[in-house]
Amino acid sequence: MTVRGVLKTLSPLFACIGLLCVWQIASLRLDTESSPTALEAIKAIPSILGDKGSLLNILDSIRRMAIGLVLAVMFAIPLGLLMGRIKAVAAFFNPLMMIIYPVPKAALMPIIMLWMGVGDVSKILVIFLGVSLPIIYHAFQGSKAVEEKMLWSGAAMGMSAPMRMLRIVLPAALPEILTGCRTGLVLALITMITSEMIARQSGAGNILFNSLDMAQYDTVFAMILIIGAMGIVFDAAFEKLRLSLVRWSQPRDDMPLSFT
Amino acid sequence: MQVVSLRSDAHTDAEPVSGRKSSGVDSAAAMIEIDHVSQRFQTSGKQSHLALSDINLTIEDGAFVSILGPSGCGKSTLLYIVGGFVQPTDGVAKVKGKAITGPGPDRGPVFQEFALFPWKNVLGNVMYGLRQQGVKRAEAEARGRKLLEMVGLKGYENFYPKELSGGMKQRVAIARTLAYDPAVLLMDEPFGALDAHTRTRLQNDLLDIWDRQRKTVLFVTHSVEEAVYLSDKVIVMSRSPGSIKQIVDIDLPRPRKRADLLLDARFQKYIVDIEKMIDDGGKDHL
Repeated sequence: MTVRGVLKTLSPLFACIGLLCVWQIASLRLDTESSPTALEAIKAIPSILGDKGSLLNILDSIRRMAIGLVLAVMFAIPLGLLMGRIKAVAAFFNPLMMIIYPVPKAALMPIIMLWMGVGDVSKILVIFLGVSLPIIYHAFQGSKAVEEKMLWSGAAMGMSAPMRMLRIVLPAALPEILTGCRTGLVLALITMITSEMIARQSGAGNILFNSLDMAQYDTVFAMILIIGAMGIVFDAAFEKLRLSLVRWSQPRDDMPLSFT
Repeated sequence: MQVVSLRSDAHTDAEPVSGRKSSGVDSAAAMIEIDHVSQRFQTSGKQSHLALSDINLTIEDGAFVSILGPSGCGKSTLLYIVGGFVQPTDGVAKVKGKAITGPGPDRGPVFQEFALFPWKNVLGNVMYGLRQQGVKRAEAEARGRKLLEMVGLKGYENFYPKELSGGMKQRVAIARTLAYDPAVLLMDEPFGALDAHTRTRLQNDLLDIWDRQRKTVLFVTHSVEEAVYLSDKVIVMSRSPGSIKQIVDIDLPRPRKRADLLLDARFQKYIVDIEKMIDDGGKDHL
């Protein structure tokens, strides 16, 4: 590998180290109890991950996030695709979406808790709501943009309307759908943490706020690092999957916005 | 219905024309019949625009017919009606005597925009129609490879559409349509987006393929030269409202060689005559 190649591969690492250095210097300068240094926060990570209770809490969070995300994907993709092709479906769901869109989904959490308690159902529902909208939107855009002549070509081959939906609209809109899913994935993480901060019962968000209550600031920052790392890993893994699915649509010299 | 295949109510000079295959073909040889077809589109507000006005046309089996006219004359709309992609406001279009109610594999379209499936490679695109119709993979693949060889794309089976030039994409589109063996090829300005050199090569290749398969071809174009070079008949249309102005029989020997035709006085005269018709039409509406 050339020097330039090595630099290119390592540059994300340099960016992370740089950020940690700035943090380290800033907290040393500030020198208050509520701002631990980067090193202190990093040192607290093994004790969190080594603790069985914390680890189970984090895995619990991931489980809820995964369920919410999968449900949202299964609901949002077909709906978005139908909205993009059938005017009546779009006319019905568009106003509903416009009403739900600007509402922060976490703001619904208290009401949902009132109805469904503080358990898994409420949290999964909030994650589902938060993730669905961007995926619906992108699936809708992707499906709307499918070339009419492509569908005509399929119709001339004898494909029925549902077949064209499944075999032409879905694959043609896939790059756009996966862009929505990528946004959805990160939103799922964000909503997951937020929901656990409101309905404090278990999970990563709960660990974070419990530590804050107990003034364990190094644990607070360590949790933020862990959550951030989770986001990076999920996103990078998804990006790998996405690229393998839609390589046919990628421009030759693409500038990736990810850690992959 | 007349024995002769093409007539235009709007104009008087639809003289009896003899089919390419033989004279005195009976009406059973009609592949496409267009009977008093009109198409009206709603425009913004309460206005409507008459895109096609009372079109009558019969195209016989195996003929190569071009539809020529200025943009906005409804020539593509007429093609889409035959394809079943657009329903006419009035009148009936028939293929093999049956009224057209929707698209079907007996009529294969080729569009100017190629409309290839970008997620499938070249072979996958050509096999697509066959696979949808339940043809076994091995058989579909064999037929696909054969067709790709015919359109000059052997060796490109695993390329994706984005990796191909415009001319190659259109070759794939033609092979993809030929794969399910439609009786009629509906070509909507298929070479309109290509450069002059590629266009000429594809015209020659299309004539070769047509010579072998003798499918009925309905070919929409705005190039007079292209229409005369390829066709047995050229339908000249005028606009506002879209109607048939005249039908010109192209009585030039086949197989045609471009180099010979360019020097041929008859070829040149056809082009000049048709260009004049189109010009006159323009003056009428200015």
